[in-house]
Amino acid sequence: MAELSVENLHLTYGDNPILKGVSMELNRGEVVSLLGPSGSGKTTLLRAVAGLEAPHRGTIKIGERAIFDGEKGLDVPAEARNLGLVFQSYALWPHKTVADNVAFGLKLRKVSSADVATRVKKALEELSLGHLAERFPHQLSGGQQQRVAIARALVYNPPVILMDEPLSNLDAKLREEARAWLRSLIVNMQLSALVVTHDQSESMAMSDRILLLNNGVIEQQGTPQEMYNSPQTLFTADFMGSNNRLAGKVSDVEGGNALLTGEGWKLWGRAKPSAKQGADGTGMVRVERVRLAEGPGDNRVQPELTTSMFLGDKWEHVFHLGKTLMRAHGPTMLQRGTHWVEIPRQDLWVF
Amino acid sequence: MSAPASALPLEERRALPAIVSWRALTIFVTASAVLGPLALIVYQSFLTAPFFDARKTAGLGAYAFVFADGDFWKALLNSVLIASGMTLIAVPLGSLLAFVMERTDLPAKRWFEPLILVPSFVSPMVLSFGFVVAAGPVGFYTVWAQDLFGVAPWGIYSLTAMTIIAGLTHVPNVYVYASAALKSLGSDVEEAARSAGASPFRVAISVSLPLIMPSMLFAAVLVFFLGFELFGLPLVLGDPEGILVLSTYLYKLTNKLGTPSYHLMAAVAVCIVAITFPLVLLQRKLLQGARKYATIKGKAGRMKELPLGKWTWVALLLLVAYLFVTVIVPVSGITLRAFVTNWGFGVNLMEAFTLDSFRFVMQEPTHTRAIWNTILIGTVGGAITVACYTAIGFATHRRNDGWSRFVDYLVLVPRAIPGLLAGLAFLWVFLFFPPLTPLRTTIFSMWIAYTVVWLAYGMRLISSSLMQVAPELEEAARSVGASRGTISRKITLPLIRPGLIGSWLLVFMIFEREYSTGVYLLAPGTEVIGAQLVSLWQGGAIDIVAALSLINIVLVGVGLAIALRLGVKLRD
Repeated sequence: MAELSVENLHLTYGDNPILKGVSMELNRGEVVSLLGPSGSGKTTLLRAVAGLEAPHRGTIKIGERAIFDGEKGLDVPAEARNLGLVFQSYALWPHKTVADNVAFGLKLRKVSSADVATRVKKALEELSLGHLAERFPHQLSGGQQQRVAIARALVYNPPVILMDEPLSNLDAKLREEARAWLRSLIVNMQLSALVVTHDQSESMAMSDRILLLNNGVIEQQGTPQEMYNSPQTLFTADFMGSNNRLAGKVSDVEGGNALLTGEGWKLWGRAKPSAKQGADGTGMVRVERVRLAEGPGDNRVQPELTTSMFLGDKWEHVFHLGKTLMRAHGPTMLQRGTHWVEIPRQDLWVF
Repeated sequence: MSAPASALPLEERRALPAIVSWRALTIFVTASAVLGPLALIVYQSFLTAPFFDARKTAGLGAYAFVFADGDFWKALLNSVLIASGMTLIAVPLGSLLAFVMERTDLPAKRWFEPLILVPSFVSPMVLSFGFVVAAGPVGFYTVWAQDLFGVAPWGIYSLTAMTIIAGLTHVPNVYVYASAALKSLGSDVEEAARSAGASPFRVAISVSLPLIMPSMLFAAVLVFFLGFELFGLPLVLGDPEGILVLSTYLYKLTNKLGTPSYHLMAAVAVCIVAITFPLVLLQRKLLQGARKYATIKGKAGRMKELPLGKWTWVALLLLVAYLFVTVIVPVSGITLRAFVTNWGFGVNLMEAFTLDSFRFVMQEPTHTRAIWNTILIGTVGGAITVACYTAIGFATHRRNDGWSRFVDYLVLVPRAIPGLLAGLAFLWVFLFFPPLTPLRTTIFSMWIAYTVVWLAYGMRLISSSLMQVAPELEEAARSVGASRGTISRKITLPLIRPGLIGSWLLVFMIFEREYSTGVYLLAPGTEVIGAQLVSLWQGGAIDIVAALSLINIVLVGVGLAIALRLGVKLRD
């Protein structure tokens, strides 16, 4: 059952359209990421759901209850939507203690003070914050502040919890721990969560489904595996993962395969719907799928090594194929000069 | 690979001491201008007669006399009552207006803000006079109210009325600090409260206003302390009933004995400074506290207005009522009064219309000189003043040594000295040091007193401009080899030029508005409108006072219009 459904949502800042007809659903117990580059409208969509931005067309429903309907002029104010919202900056109230921050939503719901105390205690303990109840926000570390922000949004059991870049204020190492922790928290508590992020690996690690936004519309949506392994558009292919991009001409299309021809090279790949024979085309291949080869062979090219970088667990080699930059991973350092490199047919998408 | 080019030699640095002594000179001149007059007051207060009197001896006689005078204690009590009362009125009203203007979607906000600030740009002398002619016993609004309703249930010649008017006219002082604090508050903390289920009103009470508490406290101390500086208001509204406050007590001391009683005046002045100076220091401490508090707020940047919904009309009503009582009533009163021959019950406005007051003002050399001097001191004088403030600003800019801290405290000192006392002190300086005496009857004497009185205000303008220059820009100049002096002239100064022009306009407006500093310096040759009004009011020349007041409002208005046109921020 859809816990949150958004239909054909439009939103404009002045003359500048931000959302151009977005539709999506969030099912119970599901984590959905809103992914996209900055300016794609992902945060605006989240804030529109929260009631902090004013769309001018479309509908938003929580369960069966409409909270926004552009045609009927219905716009339930943010404070009456009963959603949990976690801010990127956490937005903890600096003049309230941790316990008071968490308790505020309960007090507004006229929960008896004995109940408030037990619920706050329970929420803080679930997030291992029990010992920090009497501290003020500025006395906490970044990770602790983030957990307080989450406790504050969860404590009154909202049907949907909205998170705006919940991990971006943490440092890199903490972030990886936090995303595993956050994922298991959401799953264990059976929450329905909508999470905004600009980091594709974070969105894949955390969510059941990803909505990729581009320029105010949903470019593609699906499970992380679908998004990564079978992108429908060049934008999706390019946004997910780390890629090599080859510009050329589609010189042949047959049986779902396309031949991409560039300056001094020809490569076969899987034809995407946008690939038309005789037109310009773009080849896209994940960096980790490019293989170093011993000699000539099927779908191999011979680029010149520009530089090699040691990444710890592997080397990353940067080649030049004519003017095109190409990256590949390998276990060892390579000598200067040209090398054979294979791009497997099934891993090259031609758009 | 080409060999790296050899480094170009740096130009020979100019001798360092030259720069150091510029700074030393600036600091020395500032210190003398600030501390000299103050020292003279303190010195005079410990003499038994005026300093030029041959019979003077050191002693505590002046203090003994003042402390034995019942009127002094009455005046002190009145000052405390007015200061406390006006704080209780101005702080809640100013904060509320700031919240409405800064955080909500009230319509036409852009037009309201300059109006809210008007009372801080119009001379209190003029405003008080406006209340007399508009709402006094035979004021315009009083007469109209009696014609319409049969009663006009207000009186303005009482301690309560003075307190209310003082409270209302000091709302802008609270407003500027509360709204600056609200501006720097991220809207995310408010949005978090709304998402948690709080109504707009609850957001203000539970989140926004508690978060700016330090700034409100700071503003409260400021208003309380300005209560001890009040002069024009108690002079105009307190006099008819004989209600004295500290400053008017000081002003009336001369009448009391009939002889120059400089030692008594000095003793009262020292008492006033003894009250105000600790308040200024407290304010400074609070301001630092407020800044610390500001660093642990939500993420500023994206600002989102709180929709007022059905509260819009309540907010508008509050705002319009405030503007009507505080701005429209006195200003319209003065404007009308300037164009009628006389006014009272049964007088027809149309029949009483006249331009005689203005004709008289234009024919009387002292008045034309006053207008001319007022313009001159605001424009040319204001420019030189801003140049002086800038020089002092550069003397401390990005330097963290003992001298910088000394200057920081130095510029606070004039803040604690009400204009009336500063004017008196400068008068004494000109009399005390014979080499300066010829300057006494030139406009220079007014200018230097104005410049010192407004030093703290002006330095805040200059340093906020200086602080906006990113340190990297200066460090980059340094790393390519520029000396400190070159950086100041070639990098920092051009960058702050728009800020300096804005400061000039603001200084122009406060110099047009100033009145109490000139009271004792007023002499043939040094007339300015503000001080002239005090003297004319004492003589009862109401027509002329109204005409000059209107001219004064117009001068401030021209400055305000240019400032708004150029987009100068009216507050920091």
